[in-house]
Amino acid sequence: MVPNLTNYLFLSEIMQAKAGQFFSSGHTNNWAVLVCTSRFWFNYRHVANTLSVYRSVKRLGIPDSHIVLMLADDMACNHRNPKPATVFSHKNMELNVYGDDVEVDYRGYEVTVENFLRVLTGRLPPSTPRSKRLLSDDHSNILIYLTGTHTQMECGYNELLFIIDTCQGASMYERFYSPNLMALASSQVGEDSLSHQPDLAIGVHLMDRYTFYLLEFLEDIHPASTANMNDLFKVCPKSQCVSTPGHRTDLFLRDSGNVLITDFFGSVRKVEITMETINLTAPMVHLAVERPVSELKTESQSYVDQLPVAEIIHQKPKQRDWHPPDGFILGLWTLILLVFFKTYGAKHLKHIF
Amino acid sequence: MAAPLTLLLIVAVTIRAVLFRSSLAELIPERVEVVSPLNAWKRVVEGLALLDLGVSPYAGDVFHETPLIIYFFHFVIDYAEIVFMVMTRLVGCVFLLQFRKQKYALEAERYPLDCLELIRTPKEMYYIPLKVAMFYLLNPFTILSCVAKSTCGLNNAVIALFILCTVKGSSLMSAIFLALATYQSIYPLTLFAPALLYLLQRLYIPVNWQRSSFWLFTTQYTFMYLGSLCVMVCLSFFLLSSWDFLSSVYGFILSVPDLTPNIGLFWYFFAEMFEHFRLFFICVFQINVFFYTIPLSIKLKEHPIFLIFMQIAIISIFKSYPTVGDIALYMAFLPAWNHLYRFLRNIFLVSVVLLACSALFPVLWHLWIYAGSANSNFYYAITLLFNVAQILLVSDYFYAYLRREHHLTHGLYLKRKDGSEATLVLK
Repeated sequence: MVPNLTNYLFLSEIMQAKAGQFFSSGHTNNWAVLVCTSRFWFNYRHVANTLSVYRSVKRLGIPDSHIVLMLADDMACNHRNPKPATVFSHKNMELNVYGDDVEVDYRGYEVTVENFLRVLTGRLPPSTPRSKRLLSDDHSNILIYLTGTHTQMECGYNELLFIIDTCQGASMYERFYSPNLMALASSQVGEDSLSHQPDLAIGVHLMDRYTFYLLEFLEDIHPASTANMNDLFKVCPKSQCVSTPGHRTDLFLRDSGNVLITDFFGSVRKVEITMETINLTAPMVHLAVERPVSELKTESQSYVDQLPVAEIIHQKPKQRDWHPPDGFILGLWTLILLVFFKTYGAKHLKHIF
Repeated sequence: MAAPLTLLLIVAVTIRAVLFRSSLAELIPERVEVVSPLNAWKRVVEGLALLDLGVSPYAGDVFHETPLIIYFFHFVIDYAEIVFMVMTRLVGCVFLLQFRKQKYALEAERYPLDCLELIRTPKEMYYIPLKVAMFYLLNPFTILSCVAKSTCGLNNAVIALFILCTVKGSSLMSAIFLALATYQSIYPLTLFAPALLYLLQRLYIPVNWQRSSFWLFTTQYTFMYLGSLCVMVCLSFFLLSSWDFLSSVYGFILSVPDLTPNIGLFWYFFAEMFEHFRLFFICVFQINVFFYTIPLSIKLKEHPIFLIFMQIAIISIFKSYPTVGDIALYMAFLPAWNHLYRFLRNIFLVSVVLLACSALFPVLWHLWIYAGSANSNFYYAITLLFNVAQILLVSDYFYAYLRREHHLTHGLYLKRKDGSEATLVLK
């Protein structure tokens, strides 16, 4: 019995440690904003980049409702795509990252700097649907992935990870000053971020180098993995990427060695069922908070109440409110009369006077 | 004349009434060939609705009609269909009246004897006014324009009234109607020259730069015209107490900001153009409309009615937002020159091209916008072809007219000095 009890105690300690770790990062939900800013067929690889990251992020648990995917051009249904409805990220077409469950939120000409900033700051017109909004709160971890050609967070967030795969990506994160922000870029200022593999059948480059190696790294991550950010920084050294990837962690509060990859790329949906009672007397920084009741639902109810259908149907046609000014009418008709009498002679005047 | 005219009017009204009540009445006002941003009925309704809501109708890019149109439609908006039908009937009657006054008598005795066949007999001329009215009222273009309730019909009515007053010789009314037409859209300004020429001819004042009577009349007419134009513009200011109608109406016509496809030549060019060159090409295109006035006036100074026809044709081809209603106006004149039939060279080509293009316009529009298998190039090709056909028509009539004049002065069967038959070559 005694060894069992020791085992029991040992197990519960592990549980406690794990529980502690579970709540140590302090976030309760994950969001991802994946942006591809480049258009036209020859920028196929940027869309492939973004879709690959989208796929990885979904695989690691972030649902579509928490992903804002912005693609500036449609490669899958482009007339020049020899394999329509597919976007490949590996040559020899091993991996179709388009699939049949891609949910693009901003497409084509909706992908602009203005819209990107509006998504991040939340200043969208009230008619914008939920799928196009970043409904993050103070306890969200946000992953922002930007790729494409050449672009102070005010949204609510807990921690933010910025990944930029463009030329001179480091120039973007050098300007950040918001707290709790970690940034990775595929190239330094003055360097170009290069593409990886051309595919002869499709005719364009399929991926960029940094994202290719990033995804190779991410393929090994599963939802329960304990890889941390330091491993992410080692992805794609100069020998493989030709450009020098950089990162910036000075604005981040936690040490990057303690930050799990899944904190950003995966979603906090882990549920561990236990029959044990866990003693939560150890000091917790962040208690598990209930998801705040979404305000939007109440808003929509009041909107509906404002327009009862019966009132709309029986609206009378509006009375005309505008009348021309009297001076105008007077002037106009005087002129008309004058011209009339001038043309037809003054003899008609005698009929009036 | 009254009976056939009444019959014609009844037929015309019936056709329009039938179309108004059919399902086509929703379809036709949407067609870009029939309405343009300047004269669409939808925009008139929008403008008046904005006014009821207390906003200036010229705020934003919706309404581009003049304030007098606002005043006019403010009262008749509920009876719009009737108004438009009345308008077209008015134009028909006006055409009828004016062509009665055609001065065929002047052409009587001065010509060589073998030209008798060129002179029109009074018997032929008796039916011309009716034919003109028929050409206008039963023209499919006019019917479409009327059913679409485009204010182009109003513009046509004003121009027709202007021509009537000019032909009757009343210079004040002519100046006033010309000012009204110019006030509506700027292009009838080019009709100033033919009107002046006609009135001078009627008063037997020769067009001689040294004569004081010429200058006297010219200044009189110019003052009347400019005066009425100023009065109208100032009156429009008082309607809404603001000058923003100037940039909304005239600025819009001259600077062509709206590039919705239509049957004109502007939209495609300016859609493709770089901003850098835009001003230059706007100037070029707009000058093109006004440019033909002076050479044509010099050539046709004894034939001002034909000059009016040419000018109206040139306006409706080269204006910034043409519609089929504008084309219908000058096509109505064609029966007046049916004595030129023997000299026209391109009748078959022109008529076939015009018919084919009119048929292809909706087809290619559908293919471009709805089916997605064509693009704007297809539609613009048909537009170009349509305008080329119109230009060919106008130049053909010009050639025929000049040739007839030549024959009237030199005899119909031309002979060289040695007596053999001569051929006429257009250089």
